[in-house]
Amino acid sequence: MRGMGPLVALVAKDVKQLLRDPRSLTMVLFMPLAVMAMFVAGYGEERSEVPIVVVNLDRGSISWQLVESLRSSGTFKIVAYAATVEEGTELVRKGVAYAAVVIPEGFSDSVLTGQSTRIVTVLDAAYATVSELVWQSAVIATQAFMKKASELYGTFYIDVERQTVYGPKVSSVDSFTSTIMGVLLHLVPMSLIAVSISRERERKTFEQLIMAPVSSWHIVFGKFIAYALVTVADMVVTMAFAVYALGVQVRGPLPALLAVSLLMLLCSLGMGLLISAASRNQLQAYQAAIFVFIPSMLFSGFFMPVELLSPTARLVSRVLPLYYFLKAFRNIQLRGWTLADVSQECAALALETAIFLAAAVRVLRLKVE
Amino acid sequence: MALAIEAVNLVKEFGGFRAVDGVNLRVEEGVIFGLLGPNGAGKSTTIRMILGLLKPTSGYVRVFGIDVERNRREVLRITGYMPQHFSLYEDLTVEENMRLYASLFGLKGGEAEERIRELMDEFVLWEFRNRLAGKLSGGMKQRLALAVALLHRPKLLVVDEPTAGVDPPLRRYFWEKFRELKRRGVTILVTTHYMDEAENCDRIALMSRGRVAAEGTPLQIKRLAFGGDLVELVVEGDPRPALDGYGARLVEFEGDGSYSRIRLLVPDASEALVPLTKMLEQRGVKVVRAYPLPVSLEDAFIRLTTGR
Repeated sequence: MRGMGPLVALVAKDVKQLLRDPRSLTMVLFMPLAVMAMFVAGYGEERSEVPIVVVNLDRGSISWQLVESLRSSGTFKIVAYAATVEEGTELVRKGVAYAAVVIPEGFSDSVLTGQSTRIVTVLDAAYATVSELVWQSAVIATQAFMKKASELYGTFYIDVERQTVYGPKVSSVDSFTSTIMGVLLHLVPMSLIAVSISRERERKTFEQLIMAPVSSWHIVFGKFIAYALVTVADMVVTMAFAVYALGVQVRGPLPALLAVSLLMLLCSLGMGLLISAASRNQLQAYQAAIFVFIPSMLFSGFFMPVELLSPTARLVSRVLPLYYFLKAFRNIQLRGWTLADVSQECAALALETAIFLAAAVRVLRLKVE
Repeated sequence: MALAIEAVNLVKEFGGFRAVDGVNLRVEEGVIFGLLGPNGAGKSTTIRMILGLLKPTSGYVRVFGIDVERNRREVLRITGYMPQHFSLYEDLTVEENMRLYASLFGLKGGEAEERIRELMDEFVLWEFRNRLAGKLSGGMKQRLALAVALLHRPKLLVVDEPTAGVDPPLRRYFWEKFRELKRRGVTILVTTHYMDEAENCDRIALMSRGRVAAEGTPLQIKRLAFGGDLVELVVEGDPRPALDGYGARLVEFEGDGSYSRIRLLVPDASEALVPLTKMLEQRGVKVVRAYPLPVSLEDAFIRLTTGR
């Protein structure tokens, strides 16, 4: 066929080049395996139960059968019983439980007299996926109860109503803002700065630079400060766009949200610099940045609160900056917490930044090999 | 005289390959020292070890008595380096590059200003000061690189292949600069694979396959290669019987019966020519012309490295 000769030659050339770059090849082969292994380790085990609060306002005994039905559903772990709706809601707001299930006064009577009644699930919408899970499971548990109870007490109907602790509804834009900000503040600055030193190596400017009496401390902090100054503007613009143009709700103080975001940004830059100091060329640095991002995505509470994953996953999450960021950000944005309430997460981010920078200074070698 | 560079038993291995295989160099202060050899002989690797850019597999280097691996920063303060490839920031202007390096070398305010202006004048960079370095022509890039290497008034200037891919006028310009710097007391270590340029050096080391094949002044290198100097004589008749028993080796003979052209190898051409002519005249051979024969370093190099 016409033109096939060059095509074959080019394919052969590229296959050879791929095979002769063992580092990249290892990364390509190893990465999918590692990701799958991580996924199984984190998500494959029996999922932990979602902690809920039960507010039983009923004085009869039938309501306890419903509570038993919730407990045996396998989804819930009842961590507390509250006497009033306010008390139950407060426990959800504090993060003790993800939902409060409220059984109304006169529930037993309604069942016995065949009237329709309703239970209310007060959901913590900070995690859209979890609140969805809680609501669906509550509906299923209620249906199971209805089926069993109707044999004893005759027909009746229970409606399951959903509410959130922050009012009737949290829009999905609100609940996903933290995730989007997390991706932007982690991946973008990290990959940007990760190639910075290896780019200098590839363009040979590094060879001239290290002929001046500079230390690796100078080089690392020079890059860190420069990239921070440029990317922080980017961060503020993104946040302003989310809040003022998209109308994302922020229940806590906006400066607190900015402070947490700034810490995450600096931590990402520190992490990127460590990658940059350790890698030999730009391609390697890029791959490493992506590779580091994957566990962050799986284990920092992107999809699921880490608390509901396996113990291994929980352990891994504690070293990931994104875990602390998402926790702090969500608590401020959706739960209305203040900076003081998330001081632990902030301290963790600052500590990790310091560790990354110190490691980068240590790893960076002022040689050209 | 003080030693500007002392490299002892330098070895550098990359994987299993020995790029530099036991190099010893002693460069005296105030000379232009040429490191010669074909591409791949190990010149760049050697100077990178001298500058502490590469860690030697074994051996050590001292620059003005300072150990490079241990006190590299001290060495950098007195050393200027112009790499083989343009290594300044192409996305900064000429002036920005110079200011950056002035700051990195600790030149302050007015001092930096003055020094930058001085070098811009010297290297004809003033009118291009606001141009991005990436937009400069090859020759201007080289001039900028040399200016930056000299910012901190180094005592030692190391230049890697400054004339590779450079047009002849600029090559000449560079060598004139080097001689001028030498007059100001700067020691210069320069690598090149142009043998003709190396005649400008006070001393040279010939490198081949990671080793120093020969070291000395250009004249000494040539003598070493050929076992002496070559002289050529044009004489009447056949002088060969007359040369018997005389301390000069005949390397070439060409005769047509009436005249002959001979090449002889002697220990020193300037000393040997007069007595040689006299001796031949005494033995009845009429000498038409007698002169020393210039040999190129290239000839010497090929002879030294291949044995031909």
